[in-house]
Amino acid sequence: MTTAETASETSSSVGAGTEHETDASRPPAGLAGWFTTEDHKRIGRLYLGTALAFLVVGGVLGAVLGVERINSGLQVLTDDTFGQVYTLHGEVAVLLFLVPFFLGLATYLVPLQVGSPDIAFPRGSATAYWAYLVGGATLLAAYVANGGPGGGSQVGTDLYLLSLALVTVAFCVALVSILTTILTLRAPGMTLARTPLFTWSVLVGGGLTLLASPVLLAQLVELFIHHHFTGDFGGQESYARISWFWAVPQVYLLAVPAAGIAAEIVPVLTGSRLRDHRSGMAVIAALGILGFGAWSPPAAASADFLYVVVGLAAVLPALALVGVLGDTVRRGRFVRKAPLLLALGAVVHLVLGALAGAVQVVPGLQLRGTAWEAAQIHYTLYGAATLAAFAALWYWAPKIWGIDLGEVAGTAAFALTFWGAILLAAPDLVTGLVSEQRLQAGQFDDTGLVTVLNGASAVGGALAVLGVLVVVAELLRRARGRSAAGAAGAAANPWGGHTLEWATTSPPPSGNFAEPVAPVTSATPLAAEDAEDAETADREEVKR
Amino acid sequence: MTATATATEAPTPTPDTGAVALPPAPEPRRRNVMLVGTLLVIAAGTMLTGGLLAAYFSAREITQAAGEAWPAEEILMVMPNATLFVAYLTLLMSSVTAQWAVSALSARDRRTMYVAVGLTLVLGLAFVNALSFSWAQLGMVAGADPFSTTVYALTVSHLLVVVAAHVALLVVGFRALGGQFSPRNREMVVSVAAFWHFTVAMGLVIWFSVWFLEGGP
Repeated sequence: MTTAETASETSSSVGAGTEHETDASRPPAGLAGWFTTEDHKRIGRLYLGTALAFLVVGGVLGAVLGVERINSGLQVLTDDTFGQVYTLHGEVAVLLFLVPFFLGLATYLVPLQVGSPDIAFPRGSATAYWAYLVGGATLLAAYVANGGPGGGSQVGTDLYLLSLALVTVAFCVALVSILTTILTLRAPGMTLARTPLFTWSVLVGGGLTLLASPVLLAQLVELFIHHHFTGDFGGQESYARISWFWAVPQVYLLAVPAAGIAAEIVPVLTGSRLRDHRSGMAVIAALGILGFGAWSPPAAASADFLYVVVGLAAVLPALALVGVLGDTVRRGRFVRKAPLLLALGAVVHLVLGALAGAVQVVPGLQLRGTAWEAAQIHYTLYGAATLAAFAALWYWAPKIWGIDLGEVAGTAAFALTFWGAILLAAPDLVTGLVSEQRLQAGQFDDTGLVTVLNGASAVGGALAVLGVLVVVAELLRRARGRSAAGAAGAAANPWGGHTLEWATTSPPPSGNFAEPVAPVTSATPLAAEDAEDAETADREEVKR
Repeated sequence: MTATATATEAPTPTPDTGAVALPPAPEPRRRNVMLVGTLLVIAAGTMLTGGLLAAYFSAREITQAAGEAWPAEEILMVMPNATLFVAYLTLLMSSVTAQWAVSALSARDRRTMYVAVGLTLVLGLAFVNALSFSWAQLGMVAGADPFSTTVYALTVSHLLVVVAAHVALLVVGFRALGGQFSPRNREMVVSVAAFWHFTVAMGLVIWFSVWFLEGGP
């Protein structure tokens, strides 16, 4: 039986395939199993669950900031505390949710997509997860202890810097594991040009993030030594040596997996295929290369000609992605499915973010540090990357947890997140143009227009938080429903996917594939045409 | 008869039973998982060095533009140039012994391999000792000025990388004593040696950028 034939079957239980395991190879049950696991699927699930928990925390912090901005009399934060919550919001959203979410997705899916029975360095991958969890918890504890930029506690701020360093090291270890899997453990016949687009986006985005993260680590080491021995953090200039990691141009690098997710989902759900697989790869590569920001930590870099050129040029791959996917939709059939809506919404926000970024880098406009910059980040990382993350959840939930997420909840999550992000960011664009208010400083204009805009932005933030809650509630509801129903699995290939992860049961067995993966002959090994071609070739060979 | 010829040979009947003996299966493709992972770690380590050096030179430029000395006169006066030179030369020698271990394994000379791994570890420890001695000689206070802060950031980061390389080499040493590795199964040894070479290269770049440019050999 080939892998394509396996795809047509459905799994009868969550543990399908594990029946053949011996007692010695079976992982320990219960909590011990989770703590000691080296299974990339379990590690991936741990990442995803933890990242979503941090997303709720980041969303609540964002809502608090929104309420503070509307001058409603509900303010509870002082200027200093506002600055701390502001920085924590960014760190939680990017370093504890977004990057780990994509790492978790890659840890789970990449070995499946490349046809490998396991991930490279599984212990390293597990260690990276636990380091991320400890680092993330320590980061929150450091802020609780009045640490962080602007914090009054020396120990708390030391802890803050150490926790960020730990999280950064965890990212590097996890990326080494994932990238090695892509480079060395691909199935026979799967050249790099035939890798699925999500895996390709992980290779590009992850590879460049592996090169950018150590630069952040270097900054953190120096800030730690300076702060630990002098007690002086250095103010906003020092924070800029950390926050470049999610500002133009690096912000686009963080959104590269979002492009990969959209490029993976759109062809499958429209019943079409990219006109040329390599065009999708080129667009993703261009977005990644333009988003490489390891050279931009010094504040002076924003005055560079290179900075302006990169900021303007980033619009091109975003528009090219629209062209590639638009052409795919046109040649296929648009169906109102939640993953498709979420994926297309992500692409729209990526373009909006790139356009906002192009305006932001124009030197004469002096938009850095204003509300405009916050809007640009929200479009790119909340609108584009988080919508793509939700799209990935809806699309791959059958494979990851053996559950089908509901269409109604998915459509609601799309509407709330898409329009919430628009309403969150668009008013800030106007505010950035008409007002000098610096968000991090906690100082806001009280003029009529800006007050209204801040209020609209706060409403957008509230909608976005609602979207997050809908996603988390739907996941919990379906997971509980599956447990109650006796852990029945999902269909192996519910969407008619083209890539190898759909050639195995949902969720996959231990070792991922029941049989060795057949040699791969195209970028879409499970697509119907390829299967027919292969059958014809087989028949001809038999005749010969 | 070569392995390839054996793999492509037609089945032949065995003389006693007449049963068909299949040729041995071809060797599985070498994946080089460990080596590729190590190269990725080295790429990240190179960027770490680059980031630290960028911070160092950025602080140097700002300090010198403000008309201040870089490094401060009192540091320059006590800079142990000879000790630092010997320290980094020792580190460079350890690169030679690390490669010697790989060559010995390739030549199936396990005894020489043990000696080479041991020597590499000793030379590495000697470097750590010399570096800590140099820190004591310099008497720099971290955070007192940008030079001290950035130099400590560079050298402490390098020290941590050297310690990591020691741990990796110790693992290789113990596994070799346990009878692992052979000329055909030496990927881990080659990978750890490559990482060791990286730590040496990182050290030499630091020596040139900081100690040689500021204090002389």
